[in-house]
Amino acid sequence: MRRGILAFGLFVGVMALVPAFVQNAFVLRIVTELFMWIVLAITWDVMAGYAGYLNFGHGAFFGAGAYVTAILMMRYGWPFFVTLPVAGLFAGVAAFLAGIPTLRLKGAYFAIATWALALAVQQLALVLDITGGPDGMRLPPFLDPVFFFYLILAVAVATFLLLWVLLEWAPFGLKLKSIREDESGAMALGLNPARIKVQAFILSAVPAGVLGGIYAFWITFIDPASVLADIITDQAMVMAVFGGLGTLLGPVIGAIIVFSFKTIFWAYLSDYQVLYLIILGGGIALTVVFLPNGIWGTIIGHIQGRNALHKGMSLNMPPGRSPVQGADVND
Amino acid sequence: MLLLPQALVDGLLIGGIYITIAIGFSLAYGVMHIIDFAVGEWIMLGAFLGLYLSQWTQMEPLLLLPVVFIVFGVLGYLFQPVIYRVLSGKKGNPLLMALVFTFGLAIAFKGLGLTVFGFFSRSIPSAMAANSFTFVKGDFFVTIPVIRLIGLVYAIGVTLVLSWILKRTDFGLAIQALAQNKEAAGLMGISAKKTNSWVYGIYVGISAMSGVLIGCMFSISAQMGSKYTVLSFFVVVLAGMGFLAGVPWAAFLLGMVQSFFLIYFDPGYTLLAVFIILYTVLLISPKGLFGKGV
Repeated sequence: MRRGILAFGLFVGVMALVPAFVQNAFVLRIVTELFMWIVLAITWDVMAGYAGYLNFGHGAFFGAGAYVTAILMMRYGWPFFVTLPVAGLFAGVAAFLAGIPTLRLKGAYFAIATWALALAVQQLALVLDITGGPDGMRLPPFLDPVFFFYLILAVAVATFLLLWVLLEWAPFGLKLKSIREDESGAMALGLNPARIKVQAFILSAVPAGVLGGIYAFWITFIDPASVLADIITDQAMVMAVFGGLGTLLGPVIGAIIVFSFKTIFWAYLSDYQVLYLIILGGGIALTVVFLPNGIWGTIIGHIQGRNALHKGMSLNMPPGRSPVQGADVND
Repeated sequence: MLLLPQALVDGLLIGGIYITIAIGFSLAYGVMHIIDFAVGEWIMLGAFLGLYLSQWTQMEPLLLLPVVFIVFGVLGYLFQPVIYRVLSGKKGNPLLMALVFTFGLAIAFKGLGLTVFGFFSRSIPSAMAANSFTFVKGDFFVTIPVIRLIGLVYAIGVTLVLSWILKRTDFGLAIQALAQNKEAAGLMGISAKKTNSWVYGIYVGISAMSGVLIGCMFSISAQMGSKYTVLSFFVVVLAGMGFLAGVPWAAFLLGMVQSFFLIYFDPGYTLLAVFIILYTVLLISPKGLFGKGV
């Protein structure tokens, strides 16, 4: 654990020095966006990996945050920094209100409900006047890449630490995992799954909302086709699934790999942009088939398996997986 | 009031096509317990196959429906083992992983469509598309486009054939047994793998055929998939997932919603209304309007 903290501190320290050495605005922008995707991926994983609820509408919180900041700044003249807490609060309240009814649904029903909700939000933004409809909204340009880099880095670090404390250190993470494994069992142990799930939903929504607010001011133009597009949820999902669900580091690693790939792909093969969709979708499908635990989950599994072997214990194997290959009777 | 009969007839006619995009999906869910996010993409791919076939052979696209059905039936049949593998995995939650899998599939198909077919909207030229009947009686008048009537007849035909297969054949009995209890059905000598493959093939074939009909009535494009995924989710959730008898009623309801919004309200709000109804039904009665979903 001490090694982990050291590595984390070192990583953040190195990242904080990036603007001092990288003068290239393009590279800085890529790194900034990378941190944005890391936050979206780990917050998506809170629901999917820890609680076992696939949220197909995660992008709606991001888009809602973007619109809150844009509307408050442009229509009411609020200063940027004051709008950020409001954007986070709005996403949290939205998660609370949407979560109480939808989290009663299980599995596929929850997935469809959140998906429908996100599409409804997008349609709503298209027809409302205050959001500017399909024309979107323009914000005053504030061209300071370094400012946005540090802001998003701060949000990413804060989110990661918060999630680490809550999910890996505090009992909250165990409670969530127990709901994922067996909801009625968790209830029998005296937990209140409804309440814990809503708390986790809010926890995953607030950082996305804040980030959306920053994104709106950073990109200076938002419309329903960009900030409320389903591609946002799709990408966060790919990153989390590819990296490994149910871990904190997995989605981070997944985000780094997928986003680097995307950037290189778009930079050098921009003529074939739609091929990216094929690779993205095919990537999810293949990961699910061949690497269901994701990259980080598989690595961790190997390390744990090896340690267990060295100690002469094979009792730590996850349940449902037979220690002897080919001895499955469930087939 | 003058437009009311037209609105009702339109709703009925549009509803017909929604039966066919949802009934195979509901069947597949009932047996395999899998939500296929790629349903709209199968429809899109089927529509484009119909378009290219009819351009190539210069034949009436409606006559090519069986060809499309067979091609996609075989594709689905061959494809199903992959999904079966995900569903019977032992790591994590296989049902959720299957959901993620079909979602990835949908994105990949969409990208494939955009790469091969481009971004443009097209429509499948059919000789029937131009004709229509008009009934006038006093102030009331109703126009029935022939192609939509054919769509309704086709939908009812597919529904009847499917229900005949399910109720009157051994194969249908096997499907029902599998849907009720997988283990017990296996003990009775029903191969889950094989039956699932057949069901998935039938479902993909029906969806692809519906795509051709949609192409004759409306326009098709590589991006059309997600719209039809939403609509078929809507119908299936309203009907109760896996409850086939509810599908036609839910489909007609969706048709009515759409035609009434088109005629009496702002069509821009149609999708919003569809989502809100879908969402409300999911919350109040997740097992559908009839409470008979799986």
